[in-house]
Amino acid sequence: MSPRPLSVRARLTLWHAGVLTLIVCAFSAGILIFVRASLLEGVDRQLRRALATVDWVYHHEPEEIGDLPAESGIALFQLIADRNLPYHTEGWELAGLSRALPSRGAMPPTSWASPDGRWYRVQAVAEPSYTIAAAIEESARRDSFWALATILAMGTPFAVGLAIAGGYFLAGRVLSPVGAMADKAREITADSLGERLPVGNPQDEFGRLATVFNDTLSRLHDSFDRLRRFTSDASHELRTPLTAMRSVGEIALQAPLDSGRYREVIGSMLEEVDRLTRLVESLLLLTRADSSSTPPAREVVELAALAGNVAEHLRVLAEERQQSLSVHSAERVEAVCDPDILRLGLMNLLHNAIKYTPSGGAIRVRAKATASGESSIEVEDTGPGIPAAHRERIFERFYRADPGRPRESGGAGLGLAIARWAVASNGGRIELESEESKGSLFRIVLPALPKEG
Amino acid sequence: MRILVIEDEKKLAKALRDGLEAERYEVRVAADGEEGFRLASSDSFDLVLLDLMLPQRDGLDVLTTLRMRRVPTPVFILTAKDAIEDRVLGLDKGADDYLVKPFTFPELFARIRALLRRGCTDLVRKLQHEDLHMDIATRKVARREQSLELTGKEFEILECLLRHRGRIVSREMLAREVWHVGARATPLDNVIDVTMVRLRRKIDDPFEKKLLHTVRGMGFVLGARQE
Repeated sequence: MSPRPLSVRARLTLWHAGVLTLIVCAFSAGILIFVRASLLEGVDRQLRRALATVDWVYHHEPEEIGDLPAESGIALFQLIADRNLPYHTEGWELAGLSRALPSRGAMPPTSWASPDGRWYRVQAVAEPSYTIAAAIEESARRDSFWALATILAMGTPFAVGLAIAGGYFLAGRVLSPVGAMADKAREITADSLGERLPVGNPQDEFGRLATVFNDTLSRLHDSFDRLRRFTSDASHELRTPLTAMRSVGEIALQAPLDSGRYREVIGSMLEEVDRLTRLVESLLLLTRADSSSTPPAREVVELAALAGNVAEHLRVLAEERQQSLSVHSAERVEAVCDPDILRLGLMNLLHNAIKYTPSGGAIRVRAKATASGESSIEVEDTGPGIPAAHRERIFERFYRADPGRPRESGGAGLGLAIARWAVASNGGRIELESEESKGSLFRIVLPALPKEG
Repeated sequence: MRILVIEDEKKLAKALRDGLEAERYEVRVAADGEEGFRLASSDSFDLVLLDLMLPQRDGLDVLTTLRMRRVPTPVFILTAKDAIEDRVLGLDKGADDYLVKPFTFPELFARIRALLRRGCTDLVRKLQHEDLHMDIATRKVARREQSLELTGKEFEILECLLRHRGRIVSREMLAREVWHVGARATPLDNVIDVTMVRLRRKIDDPFEKKLLHTVRGMGFVLGARQE
């Protein structure tokens, strides 16, 4: 079982406390080392001075040596000269300090614990004819050192506790905007997508997060709007043929008719069914395109040939309207795409051009490579052009630049949406240039062929 | 010829029964997958019309089990799912053909005839209806000894109509057989109508007797309809 991950606040607090603990420990250790060194240094200096004093008295006033403890306070020393018995003070004898020394010779300053638990600092200097040893009791200094250590050791957990509490409090304060954002975000539903998160300072980290989140909300809002519009448009489009079918059927059943009339009625209803079928197929195609996980087939397609093929399919329509439909391509233009989907897209674009160009107009289809190395197919017409206000939206589903246009000639308004999807699913885009009363140019732009090798 | 229809939607099942019986087939209807499977495996039919979404037992499951038991009856799938994966899956599992709902009856009948004829390939290279003659090999068409100039698509449409003469040919069938386009989300219907008008101008307008008729809401028919 893995432990539950901690909250950000707890993690911040722990890190904070951990780092602070490390600092306090390092600092305490530093203090202890320094204090201990300076204490020993002081004792050693005293010891050196005592040894020098004993040495001086031994050389100049050897008879005075017994008075040294009383006069100069040097209570613990021992003097061993070759000719005489060793001399040591009473205190030395009592503390049993001889055991701290080596049998002969000098000894650097050394701490030594007597059997009764006192601590002494002992040093011996050796000259050829004599040896002097002196000692200073250091128990008091040791005690104060350990007192300091104890204080530090007991203070550290307290400091850590304070760090945890302070860190927890600080982390809570710093993170409070996140909580506010979460609360606000929780309130936002599909119905209140217009609301936005509070942005305190747009420059700081949380401000940036809130801004990004708000941008996402805006996009979501837009797509919800589009979906709502789409649903209402779609129901309207579906309702129209349904209404026609119902009324044609109801009228026909009001009075008995001869079989020829019945045929006509049923035929008329079937026509509406056909319209409905086509509409549903287009909608299915587009919805599947929205959620499709199957990538389109990829092959190298010669665009001029594909454009020519599509133009041949639709040529009869242009001829009926006395339009000239021509396909030009100066060079071989290739793109990697799904030919069936691209053909569907181009067919819708071209059909759109034929539909909106008046009789006698001209439609030109051109396959060419763009200056930047991309491949393109242009469909240029001499139609009425598209007002700037509509240019962005004509690719939306059910959007009609001219709402008054009869449905029969205008279609359901899905052709360009299908064209846009078809091109986009091949990694391309559709560009539109249009001049009112001059004509429009739709340009399918597909990514350049990957370089070989 | 005996056909088993496995379809749970009552209206469609009745329409299929009536339509197929009018085409002089003997029809048996099963309303769920279990019954359909029982009938298909015990009785001998010349063709099974199978809906994919069925109560009791899924259509694909019925198909798979039939093929595992080596029942050789041709299976024709009717499905409302037209995602390519579903179709391919159906054909992989041993279906012989499929149509996506909503389908048109003329096309269904044409496909059923083709399936039942399978094995004796259509080697007819010359087609004829009354005084209209078509030679597939030389791609020549003549009416009353008078040669007619047809474009490629016009020729193919006429060929399709001649092969199914006396029966209705729907726009879906033409889209699939002449233009090889399956999706109805294309502006092809307009193209079909215009091409048909032109074809009619060539083969009917100069002559007294009209051969090509439009059946409103369904499609086109060459010659008098067989009732």
